[in-house]
Amino acid sequence: MTAPPATPPAAPEAAGPRRVADALWLVVPSVLSVVAAFAVGGLIILALGQDPVAAFESVLTTSFNTRFGTVETLHKWVPVLLCAYAFAIPLATGKFNIGAEGQLLVGATGGVAIGILWSDLPMLVLLPCVLVAGALAGAVWSGIAAVLMVKFNVNEILSTVVLNFISFQLIDYVASHVWPDRGAGHPATVRVGEGALLPGIGQAPPLHSGVIITLVLVVAIAIFMRRTSTGFEMRAVGANLRAAQVHGIRTSRLAGAGLVVGGAVAGLAGAIEVAGVHGKMLEGMQSNFLILGIIVGLMSRGSMIAIPFIAFGIAVLEVGAGSMQRTAQVPVEMVLIIEALILLFLLLSDIARAKLRRN
Amino acid sequence: MENPRLEMRGIVKTFGPVTALDAVDLVVGRNEVHGLLGGNGAGKTTLMNVLYGLYRPNAGEVLLDGQPVSIGSPKDAIAAGVGMVHQTFLQVDNYTVTENIVLGTDVPGPLRLDLTEARERIRELSERFGLTVDPDAVVEELPVGVRQRVEILKALYRGAKVLILDEPTTNLTPQEVDDLFGSMRAMVDDGMSVVLITHKIRETLSVCDRMTVMRDGRRVETLERSDTDAEHLAEKMVGSTTDPGAVVEAAALGAVDAEAVEETLSSVGTTIAVAVRDLVVVNDQGHELIRGFDLELREGEIVGIAGVAGNGQVELAEALAGVRPLRAGSVEVSGRAMGGLATSSWLEHGVAYVPEDRHRDGILPTASITENLVLGSQRSPKVRRFGLIDWGAAKQRAVDAIAEFSVRANGPGTLVGDLSGGNIQRVILARAFARRPRLLILHNPTRGLDIGSTRFVYQQVRTATAAGCAVLLISEDLDEVIALSDRVIALYQGSRAGEWPHGSVDAYEVGRSMTGLGEARV
Repeated sequence: MTAPPATPPAAPEAAGPRRVADALWLVVPSVLSVVAAFAVGGLIILALGQDPVAAFESVLTTSFNTRFGTVETLHKWVPVLLCAYAFAIPLATGKFNIGAEGQLLVGATGGVAIGILWSDLPMLVLLPCVLVAGALAGAVWSGIAAVLMVKFNVNEILSTVVLNFISFQLIDYVASHVWPDRGAGHPATVRVGEGALLPGIGQAPPLHSGVIITLVLVVAIAIFMRRTSTGFEMRAVGANLRAAQVHGIRTSRLAGAGLVVGGAVAGLAGAIEVAGVHGKMLEGMQSNFLILGIIVGLMSRGSMIAIPFIAFGIAVLEVGAGSMQRTAQVPVEMVLIIEALILLFLLLSDIARAKLRRN
Repeated sequence: MENPRLEMRGIVKTFGPVTALDAVDLVVGRNEVHGLLGGNGAGKTTLMNVLYGLYRPNAGEVLLDGQPVSIGSPKDAIAAGVGMVHQTFLQVDNYTVTENIVLGTDVPGPLRLDLTEARERIRELSERFGLTVDPDAVVEELPVGVRQRVEILKALYRGAKVLILDEPTTNLTPQEVDDLFGSMRAMVDDGMSVVLITHKIRETLSVCDRMTVMRDGRRVETLERSDTDAEHLAEKMVGSTTDPGAVVEAAALGAVDAEAVEETLSSVGTTIAVAVRDLVVVNDQGHELIRGFDLELREGEIVGIAGVAGNGQVELAEALAGVRPLRAGSVEVSGRAMGGLATSSWLEHGVAYVPEDRHRDGILPTASITENLVLGSQRSPKVRRFGLIDWGAAKQRAVDAIAEFSVRANGPGTLVGDLSGGNIQRVILARAFARRPRLLILHNPTRGLDIGSTRFVYQQVRTATAAGCAVLLISEDLDEVIALSDRVIALYQGSRAGEWPHGSVDAYEVGRSMTGLGEARV
């Protein structure tokens, strides 16, 4: 900048309260939605004849009372968060990736394959290979949907969902025919080599170091979306596809890239689950991460900064669910009901906010 | 005035924090064409929407023939004898004229739809007021001017005593404007009152008996035709008119006769900046909407494209902006063939596009002013440092642009979707000019803007041409095209239908060519 501006920036003092008001309009409805969801959930628990206070106490405190709870929560946080990114990154370009669980499973397959085939390699070589293989495999899997979308205009919602089903068959085949663990009593592969396991942090139960990798990824994704040209272009496409095209952005190629990046992140989640939690691949390891990721992604309303925090909140609820069932005899599904209610109330609050602000 | 037809007293209308109407009074007499004059955002349409029951006023009262009336919906308005013709028509495309007019009124019975009587009445009304229409024509086959007559007949059929016309001349050729004004006179001679909403001073002077000037939601003055002239009205409407180039601007605003203005805003050089040869462009459905178009633009030159909407303007603009591929032909900018290159290459080569639909094609509504200014140059080394976008510097540039382009916003972080139309256009212009364009394509650049913003656009055009930028001005506003352009080209069905140099443009001749009636001269 050579010449200083002729006039000072327009009314910065007016911007202050305005920004606060904008932030309040964003935060207050979210808080109210959570409170309302718990209130309705409490009523349902009452109707079941149980004590909602005791139930919520165990849901909300389990993660923080014991080291086991904390570690468990952070281990849950990693796949929920990565699946949320897998949903939210393509969504930034206006595309819906409903295939995070398939990408996670294929990523796990890629990771487990390297971990078993090269099991003799030292950790310094093997572990990065496992993680990279997971991310690549996930990227290839969502890449199929991306190619179908860009080249043949196939709806990405359909293709990613259908690819989930194929992935179930794929891991079933790998776990029962390629590297089966006959003694497991459940379709699962044999364990990966020692060098493929993420080292633990702290005393038992140890925290796997995938959490650190995830934290680095959180920062990297924030920088990617905020500071790189490609990230900016993705947001531009999501904000207004036509305007992005008019201003020289190759929108369909970019939307495809978003899907591939999302798949890579989900694939990495699969590899981290293998290398940090299970030490092998097993059927059902995708848990309900797909739906949780979608919930988190929708709750964030496009804010990449908000996603890690929301994902943490969901992880707390998920871990608390088990102990709630033990201590208050409320079924674990109650937590899923509350999560769904939060989302419903958030969507309602969007409508209410738009109406209120207009007046 | 004794015994007026319509009185509106102290009308107040607010939208959230914005006061759109601030205690406005309006008196319209019998047998009177009353001009409601003002720029966009002055509150003219809002005032009439209150009268027509589309908005409920916060305060004020309405009297018709001296009786207070309560109008809560368009239905009430029609029952009270108020009719309104909007800029966009609500018509069922595949119905006939008669069916469209009768739709929503009481027909003889639920089982019998005999339109003979209705057809006769429509024929009678259209003859009485010179609104030539075939009652049996299907409306989708009719040109805009005739569809407007259908809309007027709709109001007359429902027994309107007060007819409101909202900017009725926007899409009409000069000939059609003359016919419309003739019909308006016939109506007031027949005992009706007509309110003409317009921002064109020339129109009010040629047809109105009295006129009310509005600015910023207030009534400035109400005048008799005989007591005023264009200069006085322009001053009331715009404020001061002493700046350089004000005559051209006033002409473009329709205040004075555009054909007579000798000044131009351009500074034509000798070097050919843009050469278009045998251009063929297709629309999204694959139809050829531009067929064999040739054009040469010199540095600093303004060429205006006049035409009725839908004759290939969008396709021409998008093709020359590099947004739409060329089906055939060539486009050279500063000697470089641009055909087949990606949109981003056109941008890099100095082609800037100000699209007609600002909201759809021009901005990221949920992004800040800073981000919107970066859009399109996010890969240029100017905005990047160490491979990442330097938002600090971008923000500083946005602050400068906000000051330079007088964008009314709280700061560079303001979301562009929250800005008014005029301020959005300023952001778009700031972005276009930051790239120092060699070719600037403006498509309806002042549509919907208030007078301040309109004049600002014209000033920016002059700045651009002074820097050697060639400007292609595509506009449906004939006054604007004629006043600003060094050459006017009429576009009809994707081909050029005539060309006139500045100073020898006959608006009627342009109008004939725009509608395919001119003698072909290329």
